Amino acid sequence: MQLTEFFTEDVIKLDLQGDHKDDILKELISLLKLSEKSEGILFKMLKRRENLGSTGIGRGIAIPHCRSLVVNHLRVAFGRAKDPIDFKAIDDKPVSFFFLIVAPPLEVSNQYLPVLGKIAQLCREPDVPEKLAKIETPAQFLELLDQKQV
Amino acid sequence: MHPQLEILLELQDLKTQQRELVEAAEDSSHEIERKVFRVRPEDAAAQLQAKIEEMEATLAPDIANRYRVILDRRARAVAPVLSGICYGCFMTVPTALPQSNEEIRWCEHCGSFLYFVD
Repeated sequence: MQLTEFFTEDVIKLDLQGDHKDDILKELISLLKLSEKSEGILFKMLKRRENLGSTGIGRGIAIPHCRSLVVNHLRVAFGRAKDPIDFKAIDDKPVSFFFLIVAPPLEVSNQYLPVLGKIAQLCREPDVPEKLAKIETPAQFLELLDQKQV
Repeated sequence: MHPQLEILLELQDLKTQQRELVEAAEDSSHEIERKVFRVRPEDAAAQLQAKIEEMEATLAPDIANRYRVILDRRARAVAPVLSGICYGCFMTVPTALPQSNEEIRWCEHCGSFLYFVD
């Protein structure tokens, strides 16, 4: 399993406009093209997860994630904020890069935790924040995932 | 969407999240929340339990009764419906049943509340 199997260009946004945590989460959710009601439910679930502890893992990266019945298979998205925002990350530094992961409660292929783990593994690589800052197109983001072989 | 169905969906999502946190506390292969996100699974699960109880108290009495009856028999009270199949019991949902979340509906086979996925 490789992360490139899950990302497509239409779920990658390199100019998130929001300047608050909630706005960023909403923009990321909108990339999944769900109904308005489903978006609302998903937003609440992501907020509840954030209330348990920020998904900002440091080095300018956050991985908001949850399970929800509003999706019927694992969905991911990536966003880069125009300006770094306060996401209450564990290193207290502002966050620019956001990987969204949402999965249904029951998955036949059980991909949620492995995908979450792979994204965390990618984010631990020393050069990744710098590379994420430099990409100019969604295609380059996919190339980066490919290069990293995660 | 029916407001009570929305509560049921949120309850189910919270319970799923809580279940995973409990597994994380018991099984080192599920330790991602602790290791990567530095969440203490035991504390987070307790926090979610409080929220679950608060939300369960907002269910209408008839819905709450059915919810409790289903949970006595099954792990999940709400089953998604995909391509006309109830994913609680994998039986076909009658085509005569409107495929809408505006009303509360349940599966005639397994009794689960039905959520028609977009």
